[in-house]
Amino acid sequence: MAANAAQQAPTPNWPYGGNSSGESQVHENPEWEKARQALASISKSQNSTKTSPTNHNTQQTGPYQAADSSAMQQQQQYYQQWYQQNQQQYAGYPYPYNYYYPMPPYGGPYPPGQYGVPGGYQTPTTPTGQAPAMPMMEDQSSSYPSQPPPPATPQPPPQSPTSTDQPPPPPPPPIPPPPNAQYPPPPSQNTYSPNGPLPYSPTDSNTMMQGYNSGQIRPGYQGYQTPAYQPPQQQGPGQGLYGGLGRVDAKKPNNSNMNKGGQQLWQRMKQAPGTGAVKFNIQKRPYVMTNQNVPSGDQAPGLASPTATNPSPGSVAATSTTSTGAAQTRPQDWPQAMKEYVQRCFTACESEEDKDRTEKVLKDLLQSRLQDGSAYTIDWTREPLPDLKPKQSRWEAVPQRSQENAIGRGGAIRGRLGARLGNYRNVFSQRSPSSSSSHSSRSSSRSPSPHSRHRDRSRHHRSDSGSQSDSSMSSDPRFPLSRRQQKGGRGRGAERERGRGAAGERGRGRGKANRGRRNMEDLASGIGKKRKGGNAGLDFHDPNREAKKQSRAARFHTKLRTEPLVLNINVFDLPNGTQEGLGWDECPIVGTCQDITKNYLRLTCAPDPATVRPVSVLRKSLIAVKTHWKSNQDYLYACEQMKSIRQDLTVQGVRTDFTVEVYETHARIALEKGDHEEFNQCQTQLKALYKDCSSDNVGEFTAYRLIYYIFTKNSGDLTTELVYLTPELRADPCVAHALELRTAWALGNFHRFFKLYRNAPRMAAYLIDKFVERERNIALRAILKTFRPFVPVEYVQSSLAFLDLDSCLAFLTGLGVTFTPSDPSKIDCKVSSVSLTTS
Amino acid sequence: MAHITLNQYLQQVLEAIDSRDGAFCAEMLSFKHPHVANPRLQLSSPEEKCQQLLEPPYDEMVAAHLRCTFAVSNHDFVEAYKCQTVVVQYPLSFQAHKEENCSSSLCMCGKGKVGDMLEKAAEQLMSCFRVCASDNRAGIDDSKKWGMLFLINQLFKIYFKINKLHLCKPLIRAIDSSNLKDDYSTAQRVTYKYYVGRKAMFDSDFKQAEEYLSFSFTHCHRSCQRNKRLILIYLLPVKMLLGHMPTHQLLKKYDLMQFADVTKAVSEGNLLLLNEALVKHETFFIRCGIFLILEKLKIITYRNLFKKVYHLLKTHQLPLDAFLVALKMMKVEDVDIDEVQCILANLIYMGHIKGYISHQHQKLVVSKQNPFPPLSSVS
Repeated sequence: MAANAAQQAPTPNWPYGGNSSGESQVHENPEWEKARQALASISKSQNSTKTSPTNHNTQQTGPYQAADSSAMQQQQQYYQQWYQQNQQQYAGYPYPYNYYYPMPPYGGPYPPGQYGVPGGYQTPTTPTGQAPAMPMMEDQSSSYPSQPPPPATPQPPPQSPTSTDQPPPPPPPPIPPPPNAQYPPPPSQNTYSPNGPLPYSPTDSNTMMQGYNSGQIRPGYQGYQTPAYQPPQQQGPGQGLYGGLGRVDAKKPNNSNMNKGGQQLWQRMKQAPGTGAVKFNIQKRPYVMTNQNVPSGDQAPGLASPTATNPSPGSVAATSTTSTGAAQTRPQDWPQAMKEYVQRCFTACESEEDKDRTEKVLKDLLQSRLQDGSAYTIDWTREPLPDLKPKQSRWEAVPQRSQENAIGRGGAIRGRLGARLGNYRNVFSQRSPSSSSSHSSRSSSRSPSPHSRHRDRSRHHRSDSGSQSDSSMSSDPRFPLSRRQQKGGRGRGAERERGRGAAGERGRGRGKANRGRRNMEDLASGIGKKRKGGNAGLDFHDPNREAKKQSRAARFHTKLRTEPLVLNINVFDLPNGTQEGLGWDECPIVGTCQDITKNYLRLTCAPDPATVRPVSVLRKSLIAVKTHWKSNQDYLYACEQMKSIRQDLTVQGVRTDFTVEVYETHARIALEKGDHEEFNQCQTQLKALYKDCSSDNVGEFTAYRLIYYIFTKNSGDLTTELVYLTPELRADPCVAHALELRTAWALGNFHRFFKLYRNAPRMAAYLIDKFVERERNIALRAILKTFRPFVPVEYVQSSLAFLDLDSCLAFLTGLGVTFTPSDPSKIDCKVSSVSLTTS
Repeated sequence: MAHITLNQYLQQVLEAIDSRDGAFCAEMLSFKHPHVANPRLQLSSPEEKCQQLLEPPYDEMVAAHLRCTFAVSNHDFVEAYKCQTVVVQYPLSFQAHKEENCSSSLCMCGKGKVGDMLEKAAEQLMSCFRVCASDNRAGIDDSKKWGMLFLINQLFKIYFKINKLHLCKPLIRAIDSSNLKDDYSTAQRVTYKYYVGRKAMFDSDFKQAEEYLSFSFTHCHRSCQRNKRLILIYLLPVKMLLGHMPTHQLLKKYDLMQFADVTKAVSEGNLLLLNEALVKHETFFIRCGIFLILEKLKIITYRNLFKKVYHLLKTHQLPLDAFLVALKMMKVEDVDIDEVQCILANLIYMGHIKGYISHQHQKLVVSKQNPFPPLSSVS
């Protein structure tokens, strides 16, 4: 256990920034000191002040490392966020979940990942050998180990056997191995820190997934579960451990917030992650509370003790660093003007409540600013101080909080449940900001980071983390809570703020869940809590919204310039190129099939030469089909054979006179049988083929095309067709006939039209048949309107080119024409015209 | 402006974007702007520079635009088209864009495209159009709907070129239902009505065609002689079909003397002259796509010819033989009495002649009052 813990502890510290605490502190301290001092003057509780400085140091160290490797920080931050989310989720979930689910992610991401791989990786960045860091680490580690054992033991009893079973093995010996060997996730996590964001996203997903498997053991160890268990332990160390993870921070923030907003605020700001941790603590605590009231009380003190005593800098540092590390990095990066602005804000505070509010507001504001990058562009000297009053007026919850907080302060140290609860609530509220702050820390780290990768990664992380959390939540059948939370998060959800929103809502969700589980505890207090929590949520939202608005506005003002190169033009070209390359011409095939007849099958893949007939065979095939057609008039057979011939020609890229002949033949056959589709296909092909191959039948098929346009009344295509008619073509009898027909049709000269119809060359009559009825109808109307008092049927028959009287009569009666009563061979035009026009 | 450097150019674009000067920005991306001819801007790979100066969506647009100019200067129109497509596709994904940018980048599209790229260009424009048409959120002032008409006009242009007039229908409907249709710029409206008028003409809806084309002609800027001539090419046949003959001066002013003989023949009922005129200028008429319309003038010419016969005979009962003689005079070959009946039947059916044919007596009996009503009152 110890060995494991030691390993784990150091690694986590590293990433967080346990190593180079001194430098960071030095840098930050002077600047921050001012704010702190101002805050300190305001703040009343010594404990908080004390703790805060310690935290500062530790935190600063954390940021430091972050500074060393921005990627690391980001990752960590992600981690933290992720972590938080997970924790939150977990918190919301019942114990068993913590065991199974939450544990893995936690353990996986933080300690395990860092330990197993990161330890190796990260160490290089920050020398593990450093004295200051090491002690810190050791302390933490010590604390950890101490914790793990207790939790492991305690856990089994309270929790489900399964969880117990799993945890016990890991605790001492397994722990170390799990990260490395057992847990695939840890390595991935490791990848996170070393690689940076990229590995992150995948790892996140993985971790989530993996977390289930591998993470379970560790999480239990590290104390995520432990917190819940801790109550039984009731010991400071356990808390310390927890706190180290971030629970301590959480407690601290509470206390610190209560006590000395300024410093703590800073810490919170910086330590957004830490605050996140706080959330975790809270959740867990509530569990504890619900489960075991006494232990919870114990825990609370324990929590308080670490903060107050801060004897174990390592633990505090670890906790704060872990959570804060990312956050702290920010302050360093913060523009001086912004720091001053923060100072002003706090100095303007008259009461602790004000400070608390200011804290929250500032957190949100700064986070958003940092995320946007507007923090570096805004003129902070002109920035108005946050207006607390209106918010208060809007949200009454805020004042309540402050009160609660005050209570919490008083009682937090030695636990009134209610006070604690209040604190917790507050914590929640604070958490959300903290979580947001963690975001901001990311952003801040991003902006300084020159590499676009980081940004992208970070984004991915975010999204991933969000999605992961969602997925985890959704994947778990656990409770509707998770879904609610998700929804809530989404609903709020600006992209970036999803995390926040989700966190906040989750916090609520937890609260609810906790309540449900806790039932016992807090029916009374719970109500208050609920309200509080709800209010807190609102508060959070609002500041977030404002921040969002600002961030949105900022986006428009200063967009980042493109990081990736702009080379899409070529990409765009590709599709065209590929399309061009698809022609049959480029992959000629020579068939080997000797069958004269072949059934048509639509090709769905590359043709097989063995099934394709060469042209020599196709010639025989065509003759065979023709003779078969003449003798049998079996259109289905002929059409299929023709299509298969056409297909073979197409596949082989044959475009010769023979091809033309095939298409002409098929077109004629199709025309004779009135097969529109095939005829048009052939016509289209012929039109293209005629450009390459000469044929004696060009005129014939051009005429068909003209007539077809008459049929479709497509004057536009008709005109374009006329444009391309050469004088030679016009002289072609077929074309000339078609042109005359067209003229007659255009002028409504039905007499001439039908005369031409009767004399149609070749197969034009088949085509005209398609619309002869239509033209007869029109012509008949004209006739009936023109002639008075009657017109003989013979005239109609001859004019409209009916072959015999019967067909004409059938046509007329079909239209409802009336004949003169006296002479059935004559049409009563007046009556018929009326009936025709009305019909 | 003449030969600014790339940096200057990009700076200008940047300023235009910052100041939300859509019009200027559009100019900078326009192919009609002189900067296109600037050899210093014709780069084969302007991406890097653009990327340094401009924000994400814009840099790609500008880079593509510059590459397009490069391609055009090399007469590589296919490449130019591809680049232009990149430019054009951007407003799509970039909704917040101002309409001018949208339209501006498009007006080059017409130039960048070649051959069968037309249909693809139409698709691109169509997607732009959808973006514009679906912009319901923006205020009326900066709504992308103001870009609709421009896009529609470009689409019309393409559709008319590829003979897909049926595709125009939804566009016309979109504009008809738009509450902005009378508020677009006159230039756009003139163009729009020109195309819609043409379409109505091809659909044989001559009344509406006349209305649209007349609007287009009267509102077209007086300095745009070429445009006015284009409009007249379609307006004249329509007007003649409706009985309004153009004056000689008008034809002369717009260099449309091809119509002179036609006009004369129609008003005189001189079928022979009409046939000759149509044959003589057939290529011109066919290329303008109005040959089939002018052919319909034959019906008017028949009417005028028969009217002359009526005036000569001064009776209400006209023997069909008289018309046959008249037609033969006009050297119409192989006409028989049945065809005369057919022609008369059509004229009566269309309302050009008030009367009836007595098949039994082979006579045309015309109304005693106004047997040949004025063309404008017919159809």
